[in-house]
Amino acid sequence: MSTRVTVLGAGNWGTTLAALAGSNGHPTCVWTRSAEQAAELNGQRTNRAARLSLTVPDAVRATTDLDGALAGAELVIVALPSQAFREVMARASRSLEPEQLLVHGTKGLELGTHARMSEIVRAETAVRQLGVVAGPNLAGEIAAGLPAATVAASPFPRVVETVKGVLSSSRLRVFAARDVLGVELCGALKNVVAIAAGMADEMHIGENAKALLVTRGMLELTRLAFALGAEPETMSGLAGIGDLMVTCASPRSRNHRVGAALARGQPLDVALAELGMVAEGVWASRSARALAGRHGVELPLFEHIDRVLHEGLRPREALDALMQLEPGRDVPRLKSPKAWALPGRRPTA
Amino acid sequence: MSPHVIAGAEIGPEVVHRVVGAVVAAAHGPRGAPLLETVHETVYAETQRLADEPPGPRTASDQAFIAQLKRALPRAGEHELERRVREIVAHYADEISGRFDRRVYAVATRMLPGALGRLLGGGAVEERLLLEGELEALRSAVAHGTVALVPTHVSNLDSLIMGWAIFRLGLPPFAYAAGLNLFENPLLSFFMNHLGAYTVDRKKHDPLYLATLKEYATTLLARGQHGLWFPGGTRSRSGDVEKGLKLGLLGTLPAALARSLEAGRSTGMYVVPCTLTYPLVLEASSLVADFLRREGGPHYVELDDEFARPRRWAAFFEGLRALDLRVHVRFGAPMDIVGNPVDASGRSLDPRGRPIDVRGYLSVRGHLTPDAARDAEYTREVAERVAHAYHQGTVALPTSVLAWAVFERARRDRPQADLFRLLRGIGPQTAFERAALCHDVERLIARLKVLASEGAVQLAPELVAGSAAAVIERGLKTFATYHVTPVLEPAGHRIAVGDPNLLYYYRNRLSGLPLEEATA
Repeated sequence: MSTRVTVLGAGNWGTTLAALAGSNGHPTCVWTRSAEQAAELNGQRTNRAARLSLTVPDAVRATTDLDGALAGAELVIVALPSQAFREVMARASRSLEPEQLLVHGTKGLELGTHARMSEIVRAETAVRQLGVVAGPNLAGEIAAGLPAATVAASPFPRVVETVKGVLSSSRLRVFAARDVLGVELCGALKNVVAIAAGMADEMHIGENAKALLVTRGMLELTRLAFALGAEPETMSGLAGIGDLMVTCASPRSRNHRVGAALARGQPLDVALAELGMVAEGVWASRSARALAGRHGVELPLFEHIDRVLHEGLRPREALDALMQLEPGRDVPRLKSPKAWALPGRRPTA
Repeated sequence: MSPHVIAGAEIGPEVVHRVVGAVVAAAHGPRGAPLLETVHETVYAETQRLADEPPGPRTASDQAFIAQLKRALPRAGEHELERRVREIVAHYADEISGRFDRRVYAVATRMLPGALGRLLGGGAVEERLLLEGELEALRSAVAHGTVALVPTHVSNLDSLIMGWAIFRLGLPPFAYAAGLNLFENPLLSFFMNHLGAYTVDRKKHDPLYLATLKEYATTLLARGQHGLWFPGGTRSRSGDVEKGLKLGLLGTLPAALARSLEAGRSTGMYVVPCTLTYPLVLEASSLVADFLRREGGPHYVELDDEFARPRRWAAFFEGLRALDLRVHVRFGAPMDIVGNPVDASGRSLDPRGRPIDVRGYLSVRGHLTPDAARDAEYTREVAERVAHAYHQGTVALPTSVLAWAVFERARRDRPQADLFRLLRGIGPQTAFERAALCHDVERLIARLKVLASEGAVQLAPELVAGSAAAVIERGLKTFATYHVTPVLEPAGHRIAVGDPNLLYYYRNRLSGLPLEEATA
């Protein structure tokens, strides 16, 4: 049975998702703010601005009319930058109905509030049947038809089943999960680790050092996610270690490129301007530090990367400082706070 | 509106029919438990439970019931098993069901205000029990649909107070889900039964009992019967405002709404949170002792609490009267089955205030479609919002503010100690300068005022108008009234801790609020 799908956002991930749904025969509507982009998608069936070399199937139609795009959609997929997410959700809310299912593919946290994207959907709209799609998914590879897998996470089985039906193909396997919180945090926070990996590659400090940074980054990510209520098992799945591997290993990943540029001595604004796309890790590092402070979790790697990004610390100085920290246990045990733990002195993981 | 609660006899057959139908259908399905296994589970769980029950007529009759089941099982075929399942479910439905009596309701509601008034120190009950918050919205929700009224649970007095509040607000009677223990007192039991209460036995865990209880509650709601229960399950042991709510009865709301919509009723189904705040709690000593025992050691000891001791009642009410203390009963805004706000005409609203059709939450492609996993998730969400509303409805009182300030001082002296070491370390010698505490209370009040302006908490009039010194004085007087050992006592220009456990208990009413910085 075909599902009416609407994708909000025609960046490279939004366009790729729309193309996947369309090629599976689902009538799909893509909403974009840009009339030229919509015209190009409907006419030439390409999207040059998204830097993708793919031809969008005929089942996909693009529009700039947000209300029209949402009316009658059974599944809404949101693929917008995290900092534009709330504004679009607020506008979309007048057309979103309780029956609709919604998943997002945005790997970031909102600056200032540190809100996850699913929290924004709940706060702004009537939709409750929510989920997230994430994993090691370089849009360019998926658009080119290379084999890959992703995770559809939702506590609502129908959301997971619908996403599977819409996106699965012989080229893309869709795995199921429940832990939306864990998948969202992995997706947002691994970008910070990827910036560290980009720096390491550019500084030529060796594969050992890079493995050290990535592993400690993963442990810090797990510690923070657990303190926020995520399931630690999620970190060992596709949305966790899977996504971390691809982002840290691939020089094509945006956050990796930002890290490399900083290591070359470029200021952040220049690096971002050259990238021409959003690098979510730049802002996620701010949120990670704030959340860690709130929950009493120590994140030395995240803190140093954040200081490089926003406080003028040089990458080499950050590396030296990290190497001088007293090493503790390799993998500390994760402990839930006791019911009677007094705030401010909560046992940390 | 005529006072009427749907009685067990009216819905019993439907409840039994639905539960047995579902169990038999599941047994024939690919993943369901076979009937024999289901009956075994009941026999096993009940045998375990009854082994720990004190002897009494109820225990004896339950034992006899299980014994005859055990005897019958070895020879039972499929038909016989189905008959046995029906028998068990009917037995449970009978135990759960209330026996509402119009005449008793009329008499009781005439007597209750006077009796409660005398208990609360003479004079009008209205002076002791303040009904606050979204009263109009509650009335409107009752008028437009079925209401699940879900209060915080502090004391056994909560039941009486809620009963009075419902009567005082002119609302129709609510079916009240009450712990089986409340039915053990013959007088209370008589009133409970006839006022529309049904029983919840928290010690029964077998699937047939849980299914029967859920079905009973669902059927009542689906037929438009307003309900009242405490989603915290039991009285808060630590004094905290409840966070982790029990989802069982809340979980009946989506199915009840779906059934009501299917039957063509266009009315809504609403959840109304209610926060009770007491300046003193009758059973505080036993409750916090129980909490510390449970958390500190592996053994759980059954309570013999103040609720069972008439002399403590007298002392408690005497204290309330002498100091002119008030219990705050604060109703929160009604929400729909997924936690959306509702407007004055009972329509669900999205976060931007646009009316939406709640039916969509239960539908697939326009048709009402059952989905247990979906409904469970809605229930988790609504429980979260109820817990949030509890905090917003909590009233900061001189007792809780003073207890917070003193407890934080004690913590500061022993920053490394965990809770148990901290409480053990507080003795009669633990005293703090009144001037220093005055400073702390001042900062706390300032912080609470900010939080109150954001809607995170409510402030008692004493905190809005009085000085920090007056708040301390009021707190000390209140703490000196009822508890055998005063929680705090003046000692010259210092204030000494009399009972560290109670200090912790009263301080906890404010836990969950970001107050640490104010007393850092």
